[in-house]
Amino acid sequence: MRTRPKQIDGRTNTLTKAKYIAINAFLIFHILAISCWCLPIDSPLVTLSKDRVRPYFLWSGLFQSWDMFSPIPKAANTYVEATIVYKDGSRTTWTFPRMEQLSLTERYFKERYRKYAENLPLDQNDALLPDAARYIARLNSTPTHPARTVMLIQKWSFIVPRADGSYIPEPWGQHILYGYGVKPEDLQ
Amino acid sequence: MRLRSLFEAWNAFFFAPQSPIPIALFRIIYGSLVIATLTLLRPDWLAWYGPHAWVSLPTMHTLEPGTRLNLFAVIPQTDAWINAVFWIFLGSAILLTIGFLTRLNSLLVFLCLASIHQRNVYILHGGDTFLRVAGFFLIFAPAGAALSIDRLIRIRRGKEDAGIQPRSPWAQRMIQFELALVYFATFCAKVKGAPWLQGTAMYYILHLDEFKRFPIPSWFLHPLMLKLESWTALVLEFSLGVLIWVKELRYIVLTLGLLFHVSLEYSLNIPLFQWDILSAYILFIDSADITSAWDWLRTRTAVHRLDR
Repeated sequence: MRTRPKQIDGRTNTLTKAKYIAINAFLIFHILAISCWCLPIDSPLVTLSKDRVRPYFLWSGLFQSWDMFSPIPKAANTYVEATIVYKDGSRTTWTFPRMEQLSLTERYFKERYRKYAENLPLDQNDALLPDAARYIARLNSTPTHPARTVMLIQKWSFIVPRADGSYIPEPWGQHILYGYGVKPEDLQ
Repeated sequence: MRLRSLFEAWNAFFFAPQSPIPIALFRIIYGSLVIATLTLLRPDWLAWYGPHAWVSLPTMHTLEPGTRLNLFAVIPQTDAWINAVFWIFLGSAILLTIGFLTRLNSLLVFLCLASIHQRNVYILHGGDTFLRVAGFFLIFAPAGAALSIDRLIRIRRGKEDAGIQPRSPWAQRMIQFELALVYFATFCAKVKGAPWLQGTAMYYILHLDEFKRFPIPSWFLHPLMLKLESWTALVLEFSLGVLIWVKELRYIVLTLGLLFHVSLEYSLNIPLFQWDILSAYILFIDSADITSAWDWLRTRTAVHRLDR
């Protein structure tokens, strides 16, 4: 048993045999599990491993994905705005904080809104839309001037590469993400 | 390679005692980054985590089902309780940074960090994820064995002498492993995309208005330069994932990585991301080199004082 840690440094003998085995099991499990979870490998064994460790990873917070700007970077400038129609028929537009319109300091504090607005239009996140509409309704209502409907709209402008590397902004397009009829209890 | 030598290499890597100074320095940087994250979150704390947040707790349960380590799921949903989580979290992060009750506070910081991430996963960037995963392994590390209030208390009580005792670095190795994996996984994901291989990826990224921070010189946007930048990112991410383990290349790779992240910090608006990732670089620096650098700095400061 030359390989045990207690023999590596004769002065210290802190690890018991059981502790040594437990730590090794912990290390081997986590190295294999995190590798399977993170690396984009198409293999039934990796898929099976991911499925087996999923409950533990989701519970413990070890879930992770490392695909920043990949495999294909976002090819459009986008933002999300809301059109709010009030009970009296008037309307207003509210926009999620747009980083390019904020000061350097504000961008530090408001960057989470950029990420949220990026996630909001994704198909798999449809369930986020009613909450977002309710929040915007509360944000833009007063007891005397309550919102009646909220319409979430995504705007986009494609980034088209040009041979000389220059950039000319494309016209903005838009797409209605969601319409919500505000209920009185939403504003409480 | 013989099986025995493989076992010996494994044991030497994970268990051969080494100075806890790198992990202690990491603890200080890590704690400071958590405090910075909380400071940036403070104005919108209730908007993200409160009873009437952008994403309600039931919606979060619908989208992310299953049992999660999440304090918000067990505390009453009132502003007072949600704010209490903030102050407890901040207090723990400060105590972790100074190294008081280090183990307990590393556990509390991880629990709070995991909770805010579970409460709303839709506002997280890669730096947050790295802090969470590194925080998990930090719980097991001897992070209070040096540069900490805990150590001063132990010395005062006569339980420890002035010399810092080497410790088993297995938890530190896991954070190093995680950092290398972050780069390697990112590299693997990128090489699956045609824009990265063709060298056009950086064109898109540098024209995303929401990410722009400081102005970039126009020659930097020339098609040839954009190709070079896209491929350099691939080479660096591969190197930081794989070559970082080669001792002779480590400091070169770390220096290039530092320059890479500083250039991203200049050009892209992703607050704290670059610093979250860079924080773990300290774990790859030999403690003897840290000590030499510290001695050199002290000597220089002393000489400077004498000169005055």
